[in-house]
Order: sequence, then structure tokens, then C-alpha cells
Amino acid sequence: MTEAALSLKQRLKLSRFFSGEAPTAGPIVLTQRRVFILPTQRGLAFVLLILLLVLIGFVYNNNLAYLLGFLLASIFFVTILHSFKALAGLTIQPARQQAVFAGQAGPFRFQISNPGSQPRFAVDLTLQSELSISLAAEQSQTVTLYQSTQQRGWQLPGTLTLSSTYPLGLFRAWAPLRFDSPLLVYPKPASQQLPFPDSDGGQDRPGQNRRSGDEFDGVRVYQRGDAIRQIHWKAFAKGQGVHSKYYSGASSSELWLDYQQAPGHHTEERLSQLCRWVVDAEQTGLRYGLLLPGLRLPPDNGAAHYRSCLQALALF
Amino acid sequence: MPFLPSTRLMLFMLGSIGLITLPHAWHIPPLLFGFFTLLLLWRLLCIWRPHYLPNRFAVFLLMLIGIGLLYSQQHSVFGRDAGTSLFVVALGLKLLEIHGRRDVYVIVYLAFIVAVTQFLYEESILMALYILLVCGVLLATLITQNSQTPQTLAALKTSAAIIMQSLPLALVLFVLFPRLEAPHWSWLDDDTRAKSGLSNTLEPGSIAELSLSPELVFRVKFDGNLPPPSQRYWRGPIYASTDGVSWRAPPVLGRENNPDQLTFSDPSYAYTLMMEPQKQNWVFALEMPTEFGGGLRRNGLYQLITNKNPGDRAEYRLSSSPIYNTGGISKFERRENLQLPGKPSDRVVELVKQLQGQPAQPELFIGNLLQHFRQEHFHYTLSPEAMPDKPIETFLFERRAGFCSHYATAFVYLLRVAEIPARVVGGYQGGQINDVGGFLEIRQADAHAWAEAWLDGRGWVRFDPTAAIAPERIERGVNVDLQIASGAVNFSPIQLDAKTLSWLQRGRQLWQSVDYNWQRWIINYDTVNQRAFLQSLGIDNFVKLGYWLLISVAGVGGVLAWRLLRPNLRRQDPALVLYRQFCAKLGKAGLRVEIGDGPQTVAERAKELRPDLAEAIERIAATYIRLRYQNDSKIEDLRVLKMLVTSFRV
Repeated sequence: MTEAALSLKQRLKLSRFFSGEAPTAGPIVLTQRRVFILPTQRGLAFVLLILLLVLIGFVYNNNLAYLLGFLLASIFFVTILHSFKALAGLTIQPARQQAVFAGQAGPFRFQISNPGSQPRFAVDLTLQSELSISLAAEQSQTVTLYQSTQQRGWQLPGTLTLSSTYPLGLFRAWAPLRFDSPLLVYPKPASQQLPFPDSDGGQDRPGQNRRSGDEFDGVRVYQRGDAIRQIHWKAFAKGQGVHSKYYSGASSSELWLDYQQAPGHHTEERLSQLCRWVVDAEQTGLRYGLLLPGLRLPPDNGAAHYRSCLQALALF
Repeated sequence: MPFLPSTRLMLFMLGSIGLITLPHAWHIPPLLFGFFTLLLLWRLLCIWRPHYLPNRFAVFLLMLIGIGLLYSQQHSVFGRDAGTSLFVVALGLKLLEIHGRRDVYVIVYLAFIVAVTQFLYEESILMALYILLVCGVLLATLITQNSQTPQTLAALKTSAAIIMQSLPLALVLFVLFPRLEAPHWSWLDDDTRAKSGLSNTLEPGSIAELSLSPELVFRVKFDGNLPPPSQRYWRGPIYASTDGVSWRAPPVLGRENNPDQLTFSDPSYAYTLMMEPQKQNWVFALEMPTEFGGGLRRNGLYQLITNKNPGDRAEYRLSSSPIYNTGGISKFERRENLQLPGKPSDRVVELVKQLQGQPAQPELFIGNLLQHFRQEHFHYTLSPEAMPDKPIETFLFERRAGFCSHYATAFVYLLRVAEIPARVVGGYQGGQINDVGGFLEIRQADAHAWAEAWLDGRGWVRFDPTAAIAPERIERGVNVDLQIASGAVNFSPIQLDAKTLSWLQRGRQLWQSVDYNWQRWIINYDTVNQRAFLQSLGIDNFVKLGYWLLISVAGVGGVLAWRLLRPNLRRQDPALVLYRQFCAKLGKAGLRVEIGDGPQTVAERAKELRPDLAEAIERIAATYIRLRYQNDSKIEDLRVLKMLVTSFRV
């Protein structure tokens, strides 16, 4: 995987060291371009230790003290290479992201693979949450890291930082990476459980417009088309046959969720309410349609429909 | 989140700390070492019984106890002994309060400091290897902490690898890092090391004690031929004044201004002499030293004296010429070397008269005297009976058994009675050749005393009365090991036949040779040596040294980086590697594979060349093409290709 070369200006950009390069969609291989190494506090203390040993060697004219000091100094040097080795060659690529509602922790999934023949120890991954993993030789692993979500819409993962202090903790090697693999954030469902709207939906097909649409009305014999959720399992368990629970609003016809009718002072409040209705409607097994300015999703039911409704709300 | 060190980490840490402090058991006052051991064992127990860990208050109390013990035992915090104790006690106390990862580092770093203090006590190659080993365990402690899946063996292996990779660079730094002579700080001195050796006074028996000591005094490497054994006299102190029992060194003061009339004739021997730490500042040069470097001076007694601290091991470049003439003698010196403790007794005067020829010539008298020793049943023994009263007369007329100092003092005494200026010279005689390293080892057991008489026209001339009675002592030297084993004197030929050397002796010589080179090139690599070595490389100033340092570090680092990182970044396609092996095998069969040839073409030509192998060739080509150029290739294909290629025989 060859990456576009960087211009000198891009190379020297300070942000590259902390937040990484511009987001990319593809897998990233960690090379010298991506991996940065600086001594840790312990590493700096180690330098002081080396100086102390050399000083002892000087004061006592002791060559072995010098030698031990120099040995630690070259261990310090060699550790830089080992620190690089701890990350070099690792390949990271974003996995399929799953949508969440705003306010929830957004799970970002990445696949990390170690193509080398050396195991990697204690690789720390930081997004907003942190994780530490070890990878055996030629092993891949999918990790999930979390980042808080506020706004509906597409959300990019922040900078994913891979870091390691292996082997001696004297240096920290890190690679800040940004991926163009957005997570879909649905609007935050309104907290109030308002009744479904009396909607007259599309022009050609007036829908049910009863209030208290999800009130439990009774039980009737199961009919084809009734949602599984409506099945009265208790009765079924008692051996009374298959019955459906009958809700006033969902008896036979469809529910239209209309942006115009949604209560709220501004767009976000309305979307939030619509979101809540979609969730509730899906849960109760209603057939529901969504009406947004410039968008019309005919009533339906099921996971795919549910997702497309929420996506429409998220991206409105 | 409270930090809970894993059992493995704690065992690694406590183990390495136990190892690092173990050799200090001989240097640190027992009370302090016991205190430290107690803390270590306490912490060890707490791995399995964490509730036994002391609380803050208890740690504070222990610290007070530690300070109290330190104060009572060392009275100071400066200097080698006190500093070492301080670090060891601090290390022990720190073990009891590990609250975070940081504390692990503090402990490991402290342990490194304790490790280096070992070298202030012992600089042997074995100690260096031991410390290197312990440093490996210390690094493994850090690796255990920084890896999530620590495995004891893996951590040790990694730390060993890191050390091996670091050693070349460390050696480069060691050679090139400028050595500056540190000023001598007296507050850092606490020299309690007892050293044996010759002293300023010679008393009967003192050399006999030395004769049972295998301790090394110095080693000599000659540039060319070795002088014959009978000329290997290593000159040390001069004993001129006597009270009849003991002999003392004369004052040296004032003699340096005497005009030096010393003249030499060929041959001369050039050699490198490495002195082990001594009490006195004598350098035991081969008689007579002609050339010597700075830091040495030759006094009016022809002794070589060093200005440096004799307690340090030091190396000198010297030249000596065994044929010399010291010229005249001053009145003061003549009087000094005729001094007698009162009037000699009648039988001594009688003996002297008897030995003096007519006319009285010093040479004749000395010849007669040596003849007397030879003929009158004198014996050489390292364990003569005590002669507390009038030792010289008792020895001459009654016991007639003794060793070098008895003979030398009696000889000088008789010469003085005969009015010939004479004095006793102390030093070492002989030495054992190390076949492996090609150098002479001189040990305390080679300590010897001989005599010098001043003769007109010849100056001070060496006479060894011991040679008259026991010539093998001079010609063959001392078999130190046998002598020590039996507690009595034994002589053996110096030039041992290689076949007769037992493997044990060979081993000892090999070891001594390794040790000699270790001392010469590692321990004794100082400002002077470094300057000489660097000049041989053409480095004569700091700028050049800086370049060299930079270039060597970059060079070694580059090689290391290349070796370490290459396999990680550029992993070759295993299929391609196998295909190349296949092509190489075809090459042996006489097929030329051009750069542009695809696997199909190669296979076709190979089949034409070797129709008998057509099937194998075809299968290899097909598998390789599938692996390299098709997306649906499987891991098994690679296995198949490997099997096919390895079993392919042309």
C-alpha cells in the first residue's frame, strides 16, 4: 500500500505529530512516516542515571563504572529502535461502523493486524476510550473504541493513537491516525413519551388519527400481518391459542410521522421527537411512515425501514 | 486505580536486587547488610501476604532506624563505603513502598547505582560478567512491566538481546570517550584495603611469610627476549642501617642531588610492567632501570619511585640494562654502608680474618665467603628455627639454616666487618612465565633479598649469597603452588615442557592471560593509554575525536538499525522466495532464467530441457502463478509450493 508522498511543508506540520495526517479511508501501514518516538519521563530519568554512572567513573577513575554507564547509554539508543519496532509494520483499517443515537458512546471499530513474525506487546489504543492489546505474530484483531457523540449526522472518529512503551518504557512510540470512516449518529430520542400524532399523512391516504395511539385496547385472534411483537405470549403460553394484542392506534392502518406535526420549537427538537416516535413505533410493531420536508418514506415495518427512517432523520 | 505489581514483576525485581547486593555482603557492615536483607525478605513475604506490608508510619520508623544504623556504622555519607551503604539501605526502604509504576523505576535505577558501586571494590572480569548478568535481570524487570503478556523466559531473552545489541556501541564509546584525569579528592578516600608486600624494615621471617602468598605483585611483558632467570632481579627497597636484628631503609632525602654516575652497557630490555595495588610507592624494575616514563623517578638508591597513588593498579614502560656501573661512592654513603651495631664479637672477627686472603682484596674476600657458605653445610629452608638473640651469629655459627634474608643480612654484616661497604637489597627474583600470554607473573612468593657491595671501579655490585647455597632458587624460581601446598620451599624448572603442563596449569595460565589483558586494556585504559591508542589511529585532537565518535556511533547504529528494522518493514513474499529457490535449482540444471522471463516461459523452457521433470515443473509453475497473481489463493497453496520446491531435484 503506497501512500501519497508528503510535501516538505506537510511533513513539517506540527499537527502531524499529535493529530495525524488528513483522514484516509484505506488501511494504514505504520512506517517511519507515521511513527514518532520521544523519551518518556522515565527515559529522561534514565539519562540522569547514565550521567551519574559516568560521573562515578570519572571521580573514582573507574573504567568499569564508565563501561556500565556507556552500556546503559547504548541500551538507551538501542531502545529507540526497539520502540519503533514495537509499532512498525502494524496495519490498521476501519471496520464497519454501527450507528448510535446521539449522546451514546459511539463505537468505532478497527481491525489491527500484525503481519510480522514478531509478537507485539502492550500496544495502547486511544480514541476517547483506551485499550491495550497484544498481538501474536501474523494475527489480526478487531477492536472497538468509544467516542462520545453529541450531534446527529455523520461523525468521523477523532485521532486514533497507537502507542507503546515496550520494551523498557524509556521511549514512547506513537502513531496518530485519522480515518475517513464515519459513524452515523441518529438524533437523540426525546425523553418525553408523547402519544403518536393524529396524522393524515400523505394527501391520498389519510391515516389513523386517534390520540393515545399506543393504548392497549384488547386482544383479538391473530391475523396475518400482525407484528410478532403484538403476539400475546402469555395467552399463548396458557394454551389459549395465538392472539394478538390490539392497540388502538395500530389496529389496521398506518401511522404517519410528520415533521410538520411534530411538537418542538426548532428543528432539533422536532427531529428528536420524530426519532422517539420511530423508536416507539418500531418497538410496538406499528407500520409507520415518515414525512420530512422533501422526503417521504411510505409506511412499513422492520429493521431496514427503521434504519432508513433514522438515517433520514440523522441526515436531515 | 491502585497499582498492583504482578507476582512475576515482584519476583524479577526482588531477585535482581538480591543478586545485585549479594557481593556487597563483604563490604557493608554486617548490621546494615542484615537490615537490608530483612527488608528484602519482608517484601518477598508480602508478595503472598500483602496485608503484612508496613503502613506509612511503619515505613517512616524503619527509615529512622536505617538512618540511625547508617550513622552509627559509617559516620558519613561521603566516600565509597558510606555511599554504598547509603544506597543499599535506601534501596531496601524503597522496596516497602511501591505505589505506582514510577516506584518500580526508582528501584531499578537505584539498583543500577548499587551495581556500579561493586566496581569500586572489585574490578575482576568475573565481577564484570556477574554485574552484566544482573543488569540483564534488571532490564527484564522493566520489560515485564512494559509488556502485557510477560513471560519469564521471553523477558529474559529480550533483555539479553538488547544487551548484546548494545555492547558494540558501548565498546566504541568506551574506547573513544575522552578520559580525563580526575582530581584526587581526599574526602572520597577510605582506604581500608590491607595489602601485603615488602616493607621499610627487614626482619627475619618477613619474607618467609610472603613466600607462602600466591598474591600477584606485578606482571611484565618484554618487547623482545626475556633476560635469563639468573638476571631477573626486580629491585625494591634498600636496607642499610641495622641494629643487629632488623634492617631499615636509609633516608632517601638529599640523595637526589648527587651527581649520577651511572653508566650502562648493552644489552638492554624494554618491557611493560603492570603493578598491582601496593602499599609503598616502589616500582620493582629489573636491575638496572635505564629509561622510564614520566611519573617515575629514580632516586640515589637506584630505586624507581612513582608519584601516583600506589594503591591504584598502574602500568609503566621501562628499559633496563643488567650490565651497569654505578661509579663512585660518597663519604657519607661509605660511612652509612659500613655501619655496625656495636663491636663485632671475637668469633666473627676470627671468621672474617680467616676468609681474608693476602693481601686483603674485597673480591677475594667475597669469593671466599661465598665458598664458605657452600662448603660449611649451610642449608636453605623457609622454616628455620627462631633466632631471637644475636640472629646473625646464631645463624652463622650454630643453625646454618635459613632463607634469603638470613643469608643476605649475614653476608652484608660480614662484609661490613671486613670494611667493605655493603647493603641489603629487597625485591623479587624470578617470576613465572605465562605461556599463553607470553608474560612473566611475579607474585609475593617470589620475594627475595640479596646483597650489594661497593667495589672500587665497579660501583655497587650485586651478590646473591642464596645463590651460593641454593642455586636452584635463582636458576629455576619458586614453584609457588607447590610451596604453598606443602608450606615449604620447592623449586621447579621455569621452562616447563608443554607436555608436562597439566591441563589445570594450562587453564590457570590461560585465565591469567585473559586477566592480564583485561587489566591492561579495560581496567587500566587511562588518559595515557588512550592518547597512545588514539594517536595510533591518527586522532590527535578533540575535533578529530568528535568526528570519530560521531562516525563510529552512526556507523554502529546504522548497522544495528538495518539489522533490527529491515525484516519488519520489508517482508518478502514467501511465494517469491520459494520461486527464486526453484529458479536457482533450474540454474544448476543449466537453464538460464532471464530477468524478463515470466513463470510460464520459464516452465516451458524447463520442460523442454528436462522432460523427465515436466510434471513437477508444471505443478510448481501453476501453484506459483495461482499464489502470486490470483486473489483466491490459499494458505495451503503456499504449503504445497514449499513442499514441491524442496522436494524438487534436478
